[in-house]
Amino acid sequence: MFPRPVQSMSPAARTTYQIALPVMLILWLLPLLGVALTSVRPSSDLAQGNYFGVPSYLAFSNYLDVFRNSPFASYMLNSFRVTIPTVIGAVALSCLTGYALAVYRFRGNLIVFFLFVAGNFVPFQILMVPVRDLTVTMGLYNTITGLALFHIAFQTGFCTLFMRNFIKALPRELIEAARVEGVSEWQIFWHVVLPLVRPAIAALSVLVFTFIWNDYFWATVLTTGAGTQPITAGLQSLNGQWVAAWQLVSAGSILAALPPVAMFFLMQKHFIAGLTLGAVK
Amino acid sequence: MTMPRTTALTALMAALALPAMAQQRDLTLFTDASDPAPKAAFEQLVKGFEEENPDVKVTVNTFDHEGYKTAIRNFLTADSPDLANWYAGNRMAPFVNAGQFTDVSDVWEENGLKESLAPALSSMTIDDKQWGVPYTYYQWGIYYNKDVYKQAGVEVPKTWDDFIANCEKFKEIGIDCLTTGTKALWPAAGIFDYLNLRTNGYDFHMQLTNGEIPWTDDRVRKVFAEWARVLPYTTPNVAAIDWQDAVSNIVQGKAANYVMGNFAVATFRDGGMTDETLGFMDFPEITPGIPRAEEAPTDTIHIPAGAKNVEDAKKFLAYVARADVQTAMNETLGQLPINVNSTVGDDPFLKQGFEVLSTAEGGIAQFFDRDAPAQMAKAGMEGFQEFMAYPDRLDAILERLESVRQRVYKN
Repeated sequence: MFPRPVQSMSPAARTTYQIALPVMLILWLLPLLGVALTSVRPSSDLAQGNYFGVPSYLAFSNYLDVFRNSPFASYMLNSFRVTIPTVIGAVALSCLTGYALAVYRFRGNLIVFFLFVAGNFVPFQILMVPVRDLTVTMGLYNTITGLALFHIAFQTGFCTLFMRNFIKALPRELIEAARVEGVSEWQIFWHVVLPLVRPAIAALSVLVFTFIWNDYFWATVLTTGAGTQPITAGLQSLNGQWVAAWQLVSAGSILAALPPVAMFFLMQKHFIAGLTLGAVK
Repeated sequence: MTMPRTTALTALMAALALPAMAQQRDLTLFTDASDPAPKAAFEQLVKGFEEENPDVKVTVNTFDHEGYKTAIRNFLTADSPDLANWYAGNRMAPFVNAGQFTDVSDVWEENGLKESLAPALSSMTIDDKQWGVPYTYYQWGIYYNKDVYKQAGVEVPKTWDDFIANCEKFKEIGIDCLTTGTKALWPAAGIFDYLNLRTNGYDFHMQLTNGEIPWTDDRVRKVFAEWARVLPYTTPNVAAIDWQDAVSNIVQGKAANYVMGNFAVATFRDGGMTDETLGFMDFPEITPGIPRAEEAPTDTIHIPAGAKNVEDAKKFLAYVARADVQTAMNETLGQLPINVNSTVGDDPFLKQGFEVLSTAEGGIAQFFDRDAPAQMAKAGMEGFQEFMAYPDRLDAILERLESVRQRVYKN
């Protein structure tokens, strides 16, 4: 069996493992710990130059100030208003495209599939100017709809690749048996395929949710005001005109990271199931 | 019979007239006052105006100040508010030249603002017309640690020579004479501006930032020569740190002096300094006999050319310019009112600043990145930062700035 359980290793290897693991963990988590520590540091510590030492007291009030000093709740809400429609839209569309590309044999099937895949290879930065112009002319600039629509369009490529391969791995006999019974194509999709791809849908939802929640680039390109900007772009507004309030930015960052982390832990089972399902037959 | 009919008629007319009289007029104000204090100051301003003009409803749209810099270019051309806040001097010039701000000289004329707002008159004037109304500014100068001065046994200097002599004393006890943090570039420009204002005076400084004088001029070299005198006593790693990080050098007593704007006082106090330990002085004299000029970036309110309700917008500007309004607003902002008839709060630094600015006979500069056009300002500030790290590269830096000048000011 691979990987071999730690218990069956040689004692020397086991000791190395036991030492290396915490060291790696600390190294890996150090930046995050720094942010967490700064988020409870009073601003006076920063003004005195105490950046990495022990905070003079724990200023949990930073977390309240985040809401008091900026429209933080509204940024958070905007993030949900962008992310949730995108997850639903991209996953729904990719279930349909994935099903079509995996089940139907038609001319150009592969070419259409490759087009979806190729979209993932376009560095999105080069789309910045055309997409901005497009949203301006469509009247969608600085709107949540515009941002969500773009994300749906761009994420559907990756999701289609994922769903198509997943559906392709399903036993074809199931679909054919249903057809013999005279079940309509829509019903096959709805009653046969969808229940089988539920792990994939769950995994994809978690992935897309974190992608979109953490998006900073398009948030700053396509939205400008507090009414439309998601949290990643809104964190900037915690800094004052002159004073960079690192303690508030840290507290805000931690709050902003909570939803995707919660999402991951709640959906962990699906997530791992989705990654390994179909790997062994 | 007649009487009731007349009454009825009057009542009818009144009923018809009332809705027209009570009709609300709208005024939209776009601002970047997103920080707590400025936000409160604007809310207070709008409330006061609405109380005096009950028929006008002011809608405020607040932007975060970084986003505002790009947003203003969008909304001035696309969806213009009736009022927008911005900055004086060269920062408003592109909008004035593009015809995007309304000429408000009549507001200045009718309300006698040329006298009451005299300190900001020159920075609000382009082509002999005024393009907005200033409502606040703040002083720049040298903030110093009083304890460190006592420790070194030196007095607050009056002249630049005294200042350099003090630096020698500070060095002996291992304290940096001057500190700053130029990672964001602009703090270095504060030092340059003052050295130039004190060496060559206000008019020369304005000509230089207007591109009328070559950077390779001997008078510019003289400024850098004065700067070079203090470089050995300056904190060595200034280019690597932000201005806030350098504040801790003063707080901890590792450095003595800091050329900064008054907004830094809040951070000094946050770090534990009090009026007993923190001092403010005007930048010392270099060339004797030059009229003393100061640096005080000014915030302003303008009427965009696309404003829909210009009449009420002008009424609003007249209101903002009033002495009592500026007193109240700046009390909240913790800054200085422009109106010479206003009063200043109890803060010793504000009092000193008001004194220094209202007696500056030489003129008020805005700050390098507001007086010079954007491209020149950026190249200039990069040059200053480089000079502080590598003073021997001066010739190359000045030649580079000169070539930028010839390109930027060509049209």
